[in-house]
Amino acid sequence: MSHTLTVSGVALEIEERGSGRPLLFLHPGEGLQANRPWIDALARTHRVIAPNHPGFGGSALPDWFGTVDDIAYLYLDLIEQLKLEKTLLVGACFGGWIAAEMAVRSTAALSGLVLAAPLGIKIGGHLDRDIADMHSLARAAFMAKAWADPGKGEIDYSSLSDAELSGIARGRESLALFGWKPYMHNPRLRRWLHRIDVPTALIWGDSDGIVSPTYGEGWQREIPGATLTTIDNAGHYPHWEQPDAFAASVAAFANTI
Amino acid sequence: MRTWYFSEMAYHPAWKEGIERGSLRVNFPNQAVDPVEAGKLLNRYLDEFRLCDEVGIDIMVNEHHSTATCMTVSVPMALAVIARETKKSRLLTLGNPIANRPDPVRVAEEMAWLDCLSGGRLEMGLVKGAPYEIAPANSNPARLMRRYWEAHDLILKALSTHDGPFSWEGEYYHYRNVNIWPRPIQQPHPPVWMTGMSVETGTLAAERGHVVGTLLSGGLAKPMYDAYRKRARELGWEAKPDRFAYAAIIGVGHTREEGYRRADQIADYVRTAPLVYEGFTNPPGYNSLGANVAILKHGARANRIVTDRNGEQINHRTATVEQFMDTETVFAGTPDDVFNQLKAFNARMGGVGHLLFFGQGGHLSHQDAMSNISLFGKEVAPRLLELGVPEVAAAE
Repeated sequence: MSHTLTVSGVALEIEERGSGRPLLFLHPGEGLQANRPWIDALARTHRVIAPNHPGFGGSALPDWFGTVDDIAYLYLDLIEQLKLEKTLLVGACFGGWIAAEMAVRSTAALSGLVLAAPLGIKIGGHLDRDIADMHSLARAAFMAKAWADPGKGEIDYSSLSDAELSGIARGRESLALFGWKPYMHNPRLRRWLHRIDVPTALIWGDSDGIVSPTYGEGWQREIPGATLTTIDNAGHYPHWEQPDAFAASVAAFANTI
Repeated sequence: MRTWYFSEMAYHPAWKEGIERGSLRVNFPNQAVDPVEAGKLLNRYLDEFRLCDEVGIDIMVNEHHSTATCMTVSVPMALAVIARETKKSRLLTLGNPIANRPDPVRVAEEMAWLDCLSGGRLEMGLVKGAPYEIAPANSNPARLMRRYWEAHDLILKALSTHDGPFSWEGEYYHYRNVNIWPRPIQQPHPPVWMTGMSVETGTLAAERGHVVGTLLSGGLAKPMYDAYRKRARELGWEAKPDRFAYAAIIGVGHTREEGYRRADQIADYVRTAPLVYEGFTNPPGYNSLGANVAILKHGARANRIVTDRNGEQINHRTATVEQFMDTETVFAGTPDDVFNQLKAFNARMGGVGHLLFFGQGGHLSHQDAMSNISLFGKEVAPRLLELGVPEVAAAE
């Protein structure tokens, strides 16, 4: 179900399911995890196109590639190459940051924007940590912050193939490459969010310990007309933890645009 | 085999509390330091370095950050003091963690300044740094070695260019006018050292002809040295023992018991120093993809690689002196004992030109440390200088 497509010289491993209006899904820093039910839930109403970001899973990471800007331009090229129109752009966590960077550049091919617990902007002062320092936490402490029910997020690594493990390890390294400093944000992005001129929905898990709903309100203030919806019993990855509620929320938003 | 004494200038009075908290580094609040006591210890450790010059051995300094295990926060700062207090010892930085330094030209300036101050006694180690150094420096662990090599090239260019200024527009570093003053006495630049634990590092060091050292990692040294020798041969030159360094804890005494006791006290450093909160042990990108796949599969222990001569893993936290000796990370006993152990080690390794003598780990008293340095310098080091390429390796 995944296929490889070369865009601007970068070979991307893309998961594609469903039919109908295009939905470009940009995955979180923890990876695509296409075997979880979220993708099928979204594919009930849309043609879901979900690339592994460069350096994640089986997608290439060329030497010259190294910033979130690069990813944003790459995916704008992907939209052009696939001739997508009226695309619903959905980004979760790190993918939400990428989606916002794309949308401030061009919304020409977008019908709407969904940001699920996005990283990417700075709201507080020098001593305020808007985004939890995920990389200074032991794995168990990270899971406790990132999931309402950490047990649902556990992965049995011993059951995965070397190729899958390699995809995960590559993704962790690539997330550091793109987001280590400034930590998981672009200090300039907040000032340009006003350029987003398509309907925008912010979705937040009620138990998100990585970025709080207050941070979500910061996003809401910057994007004209954006709505903010909370999903119960979900942490930082509502699409994984509550896939049906998440898909319903996306579908409801899609029906309004 | 030349001998280089080093000590991390530990703040051991806080170790007990750090162990109780489960981390000696990064997230161990510095309220556990009594700064007056720290100053006394620093002066004591610097006296121990000064003794090396008197007994005829060389000196190595390293640095760590945000830790109770090492108060040396800057190799050039420590060596600036030591350079003034010594006359003959060569002075090695092992090293400058250049991928964690935002300003490589500043590193070149500091190294040139030290070379001038010391009358050309500087040896310059340019190192990757330990994984838990990433957090205090907040340097990006992804593509760390790419940044390392760019910094390395820029530092050597800055030290060896005398008709500057030159400009540098790289991936990580940008300067329009590089022209360091003063310039180093040793030309084109002071000797360069690297550290590593892998075959890959051995190969890369051979391609540049640098000295390669390995720190407290027993069985890993030989494959790295062999890779170096092989690559050098491919490139048309023979790597002599002076390209290889090995760090070990050494306790020497007037009796075997005294030597073992000293080694045991120094070994407390190794039992303690690796203790750091899990979040800082493996920043993504620091370790190779293969190592990270193994860690995902088998847990962090998969990456614990120090083994004894039978290939058995040992537990750094609890090992006895005898177990450490089996891993060749500790040498101990009388001067004769230690010489014989090192002679045998040299033969097994195919010739190692530099011994990095870890002779102070924190708990060792000043009196014991001075005696350890003095005995080693007078009764072991001169005999080690006679060790060259072992007969077995020379015959290969």
